[in-house]
Amino acid sequence: MRSDIVKMYKDVHSWVGIIAGLALFIAFYAGSITMFEEPLKRWASPPSELAPAVSLAETPRLIEATLAAHPDAKSGYTIHIETGPEKPARMSWTAWPEGRRRGAPTETYSSGFAADGSVEVVKGETTEVAEFIDVLHQQVGLPFDHEISMPIMGVISLLYAIAIFSGVIALWPSLVKDLFALRLGKNLKRMWLDVHNVLGLFSLPFHVIMALTAIVFAFHDYFYGLQNIVSYDGKIRDMFEANEPLHHVEVDPNTPFLSPADLIERMKTNAPGFELIELAYTFNRDGTAELLARGVDEGYGHRGPTFGLAMLNPYTGEVMSAEYLPGRQNGWGATVTGFFALHFGNFGGAAVRWGYFFLGLAGAFLFYTGNLLWIETRRKKSRQGAEVTQSRSSHVLGALTVGVSLGCIAGISLTVASAKILPGLVENPAAWHSGVYYSVFVASVVWAFIRGAARGSVELLIFAAVATGLIPIVSIASLVIPGLGWNHGGAGAIVDLTAALGAGLMLFLAHKTSLRIKSAPIDSIWHAAGASIEAPQVAPGVTTESAHG
Amino acid sequence: MNEQFRYTSRDWFAKATAGLILGFGLAIALTGLFAWIGPGGLMHSSAKTQLNMWLISPIWAFILSSCFLFRSGWRAWGWLGLANIIAFGLLFAAKAALA
Repeated sequence: MRSDIVKMYKDVHSWVGIIAGLALFIAFYAGSITMFEEPLKRWASPPSELAPAVSLAETPRLIEATLAAHPDAKSGYTIHIETGPEKPARMSWTAWPEGRRRGAPTETYSSGFAADGSVEVVKGETTEVAEFIDVLHQQVGLPFDHEISMPIMGVISLLYAIAIFSGVIALWPSLVKDLFALRLGKNLKRMWLDVHNVLGLFSLPFHVIMALTAIVFAFHDYFYGLQNIVSYDGKIRDMFEANEPLHHVEVDPNTPFLSPADLIERMKTNAPGFELIELAYTFNRDGTAELLARGVDEGYGHRGPTFGLAMLNPYTGEVMSAEYLPGRQNGWGATVTGFFALHFGNFGGAAVRWGYFFLGLAGAFLFYTGNLLWIETRRKKSRQGAEVTQSRSSHVLGALTVGVSLGCIAGISLTVASAKILPGLVENPAAWHSGVYYSVFVASVVWAFIRGAARGSVELLIFAAVATGLIPIVSIASLVIPGLGWNHGGAGAIVDLTAALGAGLMLFLAHKTSLRIKSAPIDSIWHAAGASIEAPQVAPGVTTESAHG
Repeated sequence: MNEQFRYTSRDWFAKATAGLILGFGLAIALTGLFAWIGPGGLMHSSAKTQLNMWLISPIWAFILSSCFLFRSGWRAWGWLGLANIIAFGLLFAAKAALA
């Protein structure tokens, strides 16, 4: 390839990378954590106030009793086939206190039988922290409303797509030479470049998928809206309706629906391999009803983040629409579901989720190394130990990179750790999760600017390690201290184990970094003078680490 | 003269805006054509209607990424503008013929 094209795309790559890199770091780190959505929900769910979930055999009686006591559940309710600490009740429904429209506030209620046989109802979701991290991931860390954050995320995704394309071209001429070379040594720029190239190239398909799907997730409504005007002459709704298989039944008040236990039996022949998670019944005003089944078939990709869908006949259990049923979709449907599945990593059970967890962390590290390279490339070399002052932009970017990435890690860890403490202390844990994350995040960025990239990175690594270590510590403390927190065991223990390993890794990195900043060349922003010696301020707004005592 | 031409990133703004705006237009027109005259036709299935929307993303991202290969911002706007006119012309012709 022509060298001028390579040079041009290197310029493009470094600029789009520097604009999008930190937002992508947050998206990827938080996205990795969402791979633990289900264990995290279990870990963070307070013990239920309800009696143990009603058995499936008793469920028809529960439905009848709940509807009699709470008529607001008559427009629709969900029967949970899988129950556990994160979903303690057999039956739940959603109420719309301000009327039913998109984005309106909702309330969730769950019901069961009390010890005396009466219907008991509790309000509220079991856990908010998993939801908070998922939204953080979707909105690349932005604290704004969804409608504002998503287009910004879309712009970041477009820059990300350019970064992938330009990165491949920039690497192209030296592809064979550099690919299997990992030169870990004195030349810091060479080392980071090798790490960046290897990570980027080996996870290229993953990144292509993430960029292209994120663009759709961001602009979904605008894309459909414009296609509706230009291509479909305003008839997109009619087109979808015309292509929709019949998926509702007329409700006959004298015939009961199939009981959930019987429905599970029928599904073993009607959709073998599809393990039911929950059954969502909707009753329309025109006297018809729909039954949406959510479930998993680990051999296939899934349309939802952790589930596939089927529309069932509530009287017979017959599959009325298999449009989103794993393994039963036509080629077009399987293709579209494939995009979702490749984004969510939900096509091969736990093994693929772990793979996605590490690919996501590797992606976050890729953006981190990209920023380090930007700084190293622009570094002014010191000749014969003469003093050089690195550019202000290098200092700003160094501090920003360290503060944003370690602040994101520490903020997520601390907000997760607080999930077992907040419900006992505050009224509104959801708002507190947001408050904890953003105060840690902002404080970390400020700290990195005050202390400089070199010292700040060591101190913030220790802080992030402590914050992450608090996750298993809170769990252990809950065993010891009565009234504090809880432990459900099972999959929730993955959260404690992974956090403990992560905290250990961060402590190790903090140790290595503290050695490095003392031995780093004095013309590096990673150089810090001995901690006891205060170096003079070198420029307004710039901290001391490039000066030396 | 052509031998002496060398690419630089100097003209990036004109090229990138052409890729952003006209690349998006071209993606809308091409996916519309795919909807009308692609396999299965307009009313094939709801899944095809969804795929038509999904295809915007790769087309748009590809044009936005490769638009720097035009020799100048003017050429980027010119060629992509022409491609838009042709693609939208074909789309409206196809719609008129098939509607």
